[in-house]
Amino acid sequence: MNYFPDEVIEHVFDFVTSHKDRNAISLVCKSWYKIERYSRQKVFIGNCYAINPERLLRRFPCLKSLTLKGKPHFADFNLVPHEWGGFLLPWIEALARSRVGLEELRLKRMVVTDESLELLSRSFVNFKSLVLVSCEGFTTDGLASIAANCRHLRDLDLQENEIDDHRGQWLSCFPDTCTTLVTLNFACLEGETNLVALERLVARSPNLKSLKLNRAVPLDALARLMVCAPQIVDLGVGSYENDPDSESYLKLKAAIKKCTSLRSLSGFLEAAPHCLSAFHPICHNLTSLNLSYAAEIHGSHLIKLIQHCKKLQRLWILDSIGDKGLEVVASTCKELQELRVFPSDLLGGGNTAVTEEGLVAISAGCPKLHSILYFCQQMTNAALVTVAKNCPNFIRFRLCILDPTKPDHVTSQPLDEGFGAIVKACKSLRRLSLSGLLTDQVFLYIGMYANQLEMLSIAFAGDTDKGMLYVLNGCKKMKKLEIRDSPFGDTALLADVSKYKTMRSLWMSSCEVTLSGCKRLAQKAPWLNVEIINENDNNRMEENGHEGRQKVDKLYLYRTVVGTRMDAPPFVWIL
Amino acid sequence: MDVSNSCSSFSSSSVDSTKPSPSESSVNLSLSLTFPSTSPQREARQDWPPITSRLRDTLKGRRLIRRGNDTSLFVKVYMEGVPIGRKLDLCAFSGYESLLENLSHMFDTSIICGNRDRKHHVLTYEDKDGDWMMVGDIPWDMFLETVRRLKITRPERY
Repeated sequence: MNYFPDEVIEHVFDFVTSHKDRNAISLVCKSWYKIERYSRQKVFIGNCYAINPERLLRRFPCLKSLTLKGKPHFADFNLVPHEWGGFLLPWIEALARSRVGLEELRLKRMVVTDESLELLSRSFVNFKSLVLVSCEGFTTDGLASIAANCRHLRDLDLQENEIDDHRGQWLSCFPDTCTTLVTLNFACLEGETNLVALERLVARSPNLKSLKLNRAVPLDALARLMVCAPQIVDLGVGSYENDPDSESYLKLKAAIKKCTSLRSLSGFLEAAPHCLSAFHPICHNLTSLNLSYAAEIHGSHLIKLIQHCKKLQRLWILDSIGDKGLEVVASTCKELQELRVFPSDLLGGGNTAVTEEGLVAISAGCPKLHSILYFCQQMTNAALVTVAKNCPNFIRFRLCILDPTKPDHVTSQPLDEGFGAIVKACKSLRRLSLSGLLTDQVFLYIGMYANQLEMLSIAFAGDTDKGMLYVLNGCKKMKKLEIRDSPFGDTALLADVSKYKTMRSLWMSSCEVTLSGCKRLAQKAPWLNVEIINENDNNRMEENGHEGRQKVDKLYLYRTVVGTRMDAPPFVWIL
Repeated sequence: MDVSNSCSSFSSSSVDSTKPSPSESSVNLSLSLTFPSTSPQREARQDWPPITSRLRDTLKGRRLIRRGNDTSLFVKVYMEGVPIGRKLDLCAFSGYESLLENLSHMFDTSIICGNRDRKHHVLTYEDKDGDWMMVGDIPWDMFLETVRRLKITRPERY
């Protein structure tokens, strides 16, 4: 029953921005559904194969901003072949045909081509913002079309993409009339950069707030850029090699002092560490620091820098900082909300850079901590219990022990109790990654306590199907479940097929599920796409007489309203 | 096999005033190249630990390696005219003097830096910019940050 005219209701809906809330609003009644769909400007699609562009546009004709995600998360770790899917072009073609006024596009793990970038740049007059995260398939020629044709471009943000750098002149493709840039991030480009074009572009972009350079931008260029853009808020330093007595370095030091709005710092690929001190004057303003690519900087220099960063909320760092360094973080960064500690030594040669002690110190010293990603060599149940007590507010807790089946190094017990303590104490936990020696018991705890859990990553854990069943039965809010190298099979997979209606996707690789189990699942659930990825032998599965019992290498299933996709490569078998 | 022990034994044998015999030092060299790991396949894995390719490539490209509480920085050393080079951990030395002393022992000849001399071999290095420079002009820790490889030139050059 509506006592208000539609325009009033629409105006009220304008204040509701989260897509979850808007989805909920649209379910209230037919009239609200209709009002909501015509007023929706931002749409988030977590799986590009769950829906198709035609249906999207039919429902939301006034679309202005679209977020699309393609490949499953484990694609980040080379578990999904490049040609699996997630192609952008059909979406751009459909959006262009419909003449929708697209202004923003945010993509994650999609295959983007130069052709689709060119089409994008020509089809939407008001296009303003392009954010590409972990995408691939395009070159700097595609960037050149965006630069040349998008007259109102505000954001060009390239994060962690694989871009074929043709060392072309894409930066000089921005017309002289382009003065609207707010974000320019090309840190992931590996080739040379036209420094003159870059400096001119920055000089004519008074609104530029975020600038992230690639490794081809040397120190003297950085100094000049910072003089042009003292209003910068977010800076990604490229290479940082220099001579501390040089004129460029002195100029840089002076320029940095003027950047009083600087809040976020990243980059430092190939850095000369004793020159980090140039940034000390602005450290007290920093809220975000990402040194995860600064592989050449010793722990001691990192610590010296961090000691100045009292307002830090987000810190991404390599484990070369050590437990001692984390203790400094704990005593200095009282505002810390998110910490990521990445491994610096992949060969694991007995290196104990960070241990459970560092994690405990952080949990004790940083009361606002809610997100952590921690790579370490060892862990104990006692430490995890302490961390749970210190930080009951975790939203994201991701632990990765480099030897994935390592038990508690003091008691030699599995880490079930430690993770159990985490899920029991952290009632708002939405994301969890497990590690270390783990039995079915940990999954019992997760099923019992992790009521808000939406994403769970499991590797080398569990004993029997019971483990996976505890999770599927217990975690009512589960959206994404990804499992690798764990002994879960058909029984768990098939126990409750309707569960997958409430989830976005399930990934299982190197587990115990068989082809016949997957086939049965596909039969029971026509609204599910059940994909088998078999790179090694495409047709052996069919020819083999024992095909039913043959184990499936990689299984990816997801709910969809548009049925089987037509663009799957030959090694992907959709049942 | 304890890698740090074999590394330091290699370095310490060159610090001794007695020359290591060529076969002994080459055995030590091969020992120092074996890394212990719980799984022999670990080095080759592209899917563990779960980090992005970009970070993986960055870490692979680094020169500094940490083992325990020590750091090591291995660079290639060539003697001009000799096609096969050696590898040396620069972190094992306290400064230019000990570096020269050890190189002189390793290559069984006298090596200096700085002064050009018709009699001695002169030590040069390739820096971050790819330029070949005379060893000894900059402070030692700055040298460690910029050096990419070493070359011992023949005396006649100068």
